Amino acid sequence: MKQFMTLLRKDLKIEFRTFDILSSMGIYAVLVLVVFGVAFMLGENSYDITPLASGLLWVLAVFTSLLGLNRSFNREREFSALEALLLSPLDRGVLFLSKVTANALFLSIVFVVAVPLFVFLFLQGGVQGNGVLAPSAPLVLAPLAVGILGIAGVGTLLATITLHTRGRDIMLALLFIPVIFPLLYSCVTASSMALLGISDSMVFLQTLGMGVGYDVIMILVGWMLYDFVLNG
Amino acid sequence: MTRVFALISLALGALLTTGAFIAVFFFVPIANGGELAQVANIGGEQVTHQLWFSQKIFYFHVPVAIASFAALALGAWHSIQYLRTKRPVCDLRARTAMEVGLIFIILTMISGDLWTRSDWNTWWNWDPRLTTYLILMLLVIAYFILRVQIESPERRARISAVFGIIAFANAALSMLIPRLMESMHPVVLSGSADSGLTPPMLAAFLTALFGMLFIGFGLYYLRSMQLELAERLALVQARYDEAQGS
Repeated sequence: MKQFMTLLRKDLKIEFRTFDILSSMGIYAVLVLVVFGVAFMLGENSYDITPLASGLLWVLAVFTSLLGLNRSFNREREFSALEALLLSPLDRGVLFLSKVTANALFLSIVFVVAVPLFVFLFLQGGVQGNGVLAPSAPLVLAPLAVGILGIAGVGTLLATITLHTRGRDIMLALLFIPVIFPLLYSCVTASSMALLGISDSMVFLQTLGMGVGYDVIMILVGWMLYDFVLNG
Repeated sequence: MTRVFALISLALGALLTTGAFIAVFFFVPIANGGELAQVANIGGEQVTHQLWFSQKIFYFHVPVAIASFAALALGAWHSIQYLRTKRPVCDLRARTAMEVGLIFIILTMISGDLWTRSDWNTWWNWDPRLTTYLILMLLVIAYFILRVQIESPERRARISAVFGIIAFANAALSMLIPRLMESMHPVVLSGSADSGLTPPMLAAFLTALFGMLFIGFGLYYLRSMQLELAERLALVQARYDEAQGS
């Protein structure tokens, strides 16, 4: 636990001094929103994109987090920081969990800004027409939380896997999207139910439960295999 | 001796699948679909139900799909063995199993596509079952791209073993989705007693299934033997060069 806190504090301290990951992820999220804006503005000015909203939201989430995950291990490569970490008598599982927590925190911070911005730009009946959200819309926070945890878990594991490959950044995207698919599927379904109105709360909970199950299994697998990923 | 074993497995598989396919087209009755409005007379027989000739692809599609899962499971098993023992031969076998898996996955995709064209009137559909299987194919392809991207053999073996395990865990999770969600894909082998297969259908299906598994195993065996020999040859070559040099 003490090791975990020390590692986490180290990651957070570096980040809040440089704002390296947060700034690039934040700007990238805004740029994705701009691309959405262009894609939907060029036709008539009154699309109702509410039925598509949850899909777009997760496109934003997946691409933004990919960028952040790529960067999260870059700084460990500089000055061989990772090797130095591995020299210390440190449980590899703890290292994994602290990295997952740090990445989940960074993703949450970015989404706290990006998701309201997304809602404001596309779903408030403003620019894009007259989309009306269901009263259950705030429940979208539940699949978002489940998604962030899973993305951070799988992303940390795969970022470490691709650390020593030749085309690092591209490899991460190639591995990340198929592996994240079950989570993406359940989160998109659950968010879309929340945004458009939940007709059957059992189905909503079941879909969400599938995402939680995925998180638990994948983080467990990562925690067990992390030792092998690092040095075998 | 072992090569004979592999060849026997291949031959047996070829015999069983060919036999099953011949039986499927000449002896096994055509599956009945929905009831017709009026009785029709086709080839001198009274037909009361719509006939599903396209259902015949079931005897190819499903055995191939099951064989693909078997190959992936074998790959994951060898990956775990590699991480436990660190023997290079385990890595080689895991890779071979994944290769065979990829062949069977592609065959499943092609046969499935032919069926969806005939029965759903479309080449592709984002049905959960189809989508998860496509993702599975992409995962296996990503496994091979990952292998190419890592230079050190020891690290390549270790990292791809980890990814092989992740991919298999993920495939298992993916396969839950169409069981939980609404899917257009028919579920024949659901574990319930009434699968809709008559005894001759079941017999033909099982013959084709065992045939496919034998073919898969034979391919896996031959290929891993070939790779092991190539590795030994490279080793001998290296030693020879070294001896020449000194």
